Amino acid sequence: MSVSKRLFKIFGPIILAAILLLAVLLSPFSFGLNRVSKSTEKTAAVSLSANVLKGRLIKRRALSDNYVPFFGSSEWSRFDPMHPSVLAAKYHRNYRPFLLGARGTQSLTQYFVMQSVKKQLTNKKAVFVISPQWFVPQGTRKDAFGYYYSPLQTTDWLQTEQNTAMDRYAAKRLLQMPSGSSDKVLAGALARVAAGFKPTSVQRAYINYKARVLGSEDEFFSRFGISGKNLNIVQQQTNLLPATYNFNKLDQLAGKIGKQQTTSNSLEISNKFWKTKLKRNYKRLANSQTTLDYTKSPEFADFQLVLNQFAKNNTNVMFIIPPINQRWADYTGLSMKMIAQFDKKIRYQLQSQGFNNICDLSQDGGQDYFMTDTIHLGWRGWLAVDKQVDPFLTKQQKTPTYKISSKFYSKQWQQLDPADLSSYAAK
Amino acid sequence: MMSFDPYGNPTYFVLLFIALLPLMIGLLYGRRSHWYESLISFVFLMLTFGGIKWRTGIALIIYLIYQITLVWLYSRYRQRPDSPNKGWIFVVSVILAIIPLAIVKITPAVHHGASSIIGFLGISYLTFKVVQMIMETRDGTIKEFHPVLFGQFLLFFPTISSGPIDRYRRFVKDYESVPTREKYLELVEKGVRYIFIGFFYKFILAYIFGTVMLPTVEHAALQAHGISWALVGVMYTYSMDLFFDFAGYSLFAVGVSYLMGIETPMNFNQPFKSKNIKDFWNRWHMTLSFWFRDFIYMRLVFFMMKHKIFKSRITTANVAYVINMLIMGFWHGETWYYIVYGLFHGLAMVVNDAWLRFKKKNQAQIPHNKFTEYFAIFLTFNVVCFSFLIFSGFLNQLWFGARP
Repeated sequence: MSVSKRLFKIFGPIILAAILLLAVLLSPFSFGLNRVSKSTEKTAAVSLSANVLKGRLIKRRALSDNYVPFFGSSEWSRFDPMHPSVLAAKYHRNYRPFLLGARGTQSLTQYFVMQSVKKQLTNKKAVFVISPQWFVPQGTRKDAFGYYYSPLQTTDWLQTEQNTAMDRYAAKRLLQMPSGSSDKVLAGALARVAAGFKPTSVQRAYINYKARVLGSEDEFFSRFGISGKNLNIVQQQTNLLPATYNFNKLDQLAGKIGKQQTTSNSLEISNKFWKTKLKRNYKRLANSQTTLDYTKSPEFADFQLVLNQFAKNNTNVMFIIPPINQRWADYTGLSMKMIAQFDKKIRYQLQSQGFNNICDLSQDGGQDYFMTDTIHLGWRGWLAVDKQVDPFLTKQQKTPTYKISSKFYSKQWQQLDPADLSSYAAK
Repeated sequence: MMSFDPYGNPTYFVLLFIALLPLMIGLLYGRRSHWYESLISFVFLMLTFGGIKWRTGIALIIYLIYQITLVWLYSRYRQRPDSPNKGWIFVVSVILAIIPLAIVKITPAVHHGASSIIGFLGISYLTFKVVQMIMETRDGTIKEFHPVLFGQFLLFFPTISSGPIDRYRRFVKDYESVPTREKYLELVEKGVRYIFIGFFYKFILAYIFGTVMLPTVEHAALQAHGISWALVGVMYTYSMDLFFDFAGYSLFAVGVSYLMGIETPMNFNQPFKSKNIKDFWNRWHMTLSFWFRDFIYMRLVFFMMKHKIFKSRITTANVAYVINMLIMGFWHGETWYYIVYGLFHGLAMVVNDAWLRFKKKNQAQIPHNKFTEYFAIFLTFNVVCFSFLIFSGFLNQLWFGARP
């Protein structure tokens, strides 16, 4: 065999594979892969999988149908018969929740999740659960942010940034995260945005190239690895509900189920959570939360990013502020005064900018079977949420008018003591 | 400046191939340009140790000067016509060669996990090469010292970060010659195949086991706390991840060496097909275990026999096994699980030898057929996976880790 023939035998297949790969990744055609079946949407909506959160195509398709984004975190994994996804399925509501968030997703992650579905949020409705536990002094955890970090959402965002206060703050925060600065060229572009400049033309070309490749990857792979486990759970839970919706009857049922499932402890915490998470640490957790403080945190500014994006897309949002299990709080010494202060501060941030749909449950932590464990809504709590969310989503709402203020990005606001709120507001 | 982990992403491979192309054309036409090789070595070392990692680059340079000086001094001593070849000078030289590695390995244990400033990626593998050089100089098998060739051997960039550990004499033979065209084409064909099997191992299989599956089973095992089925899952998943990750990397290193006309030895030979532990160590991380065999085990056995420390040859071998494997455990790091891992394999070797002796003596009674062979493979595989569970440090997290 001649040398050139031999070389062609060795390298020919590689060159061919490389050409095919580039053609597929860089081509604007999607080869019919951008179709998403109804069943994929249904599975993805309750899967809570990280790849759904980080992806784009499935969310876009689902939110263009009758799915409504439910932003939040770990509470979504508490599937019981009163969970929003179960109620919506059982009573054939004209909406279905698309659950976005899992343990460790906070405002900054949600802001970037929103980047991939801006068009689908525009002039639409959404639900957003604000966990007080996000607002710890050090803010969002870098490893948790890294776990949910999506380069695709970052390039989506960079392609549309307009160097507003929001964009500059988001770029700055992203650069503080190891995952956000992992790509050196993107980090360079972020540094320019944070400093108030446009990315250079080379950076822009790179962003566009990257966005194309990542977008293709999303179309190819995002439908794989979506767990169907939660969909099964949701379907099982619907069987426990009566055929017709009656709030009082459901409330009684919720209390009954709650009672049945919290027999192992005096805190009204579900047996499952008690057994797997709490029992062995129970003793040493007594009075362990006396110093927790949710009133001063960079999270307040991260949360402002979310509000700013909602305002920009004119999304009508129902915010839910969940309570903390009162019995648990008493046991760990968590300050209810501090929780009330947090509530005051976050409500100011919401209402002063025109976000007036607030389902504030922060005072309801003492109600029986309201929480499924320490800090997560369950049974009667979910039903209390539904009582406000259902009419909000199914009935015509007044168009909101938002007045966004960039002062909420400032260090001063992040660290503001809620006690000084009245003097701050007067300024 | 750009900074890469070797073989970490597609960009690295593209750059590597562009850099290798002129070299490959040269080799195809019977020419080897040492200065071009040095140039691309330099560039790729800069990519590995430069940029934000420049401190480790400085550490590498100081380390190199130190070790080359050390080996040069020892060689001068040894190659004097009237060299007394004192044992203590040899021992001191080896200790001096190991000191930097020892500092790097001990620092995290005493400084709560902080890494030493004199450390850099691949220091272990360079130390193996240096110690080998001193030992073979003492034996007289290496008779001349060329600081430049020695430096090239140490810094051979395809293998610098994690081996395979080549031998100086073997390396120099390849480095100073040019393969025939027919031979080189064979090397290229093999090299390309190795690199692509490496892609499959490292970027597909290790990804599935390590990135997709491992966190899930680890999480489940932590939730269950104590012994659980999930822990068994961690054991197998981690073992598969470890193998495909490291074997994939080794294939890259060997494949790239082949493209450069250097036949770096293979590191793995289907280790999960091993019929016993000894067989396993002849197939798993081969260049390391052969290094330990030649430079620790054999020397320990000779030493103990020469000084008649134990009467029985069996005891001598057993003690040498345990010490050998313990040293390997300590080399991995100063944590209880690496040390237990070493001890476990040392004892496994002892048991293995005892069984083989027993089997030989009772050959008539012990059946040997296809089934017993499969059983031996199955048993060895499980013993090895269990040792990897120890090695993974997951038990440390499970038993002593901080609880949320």
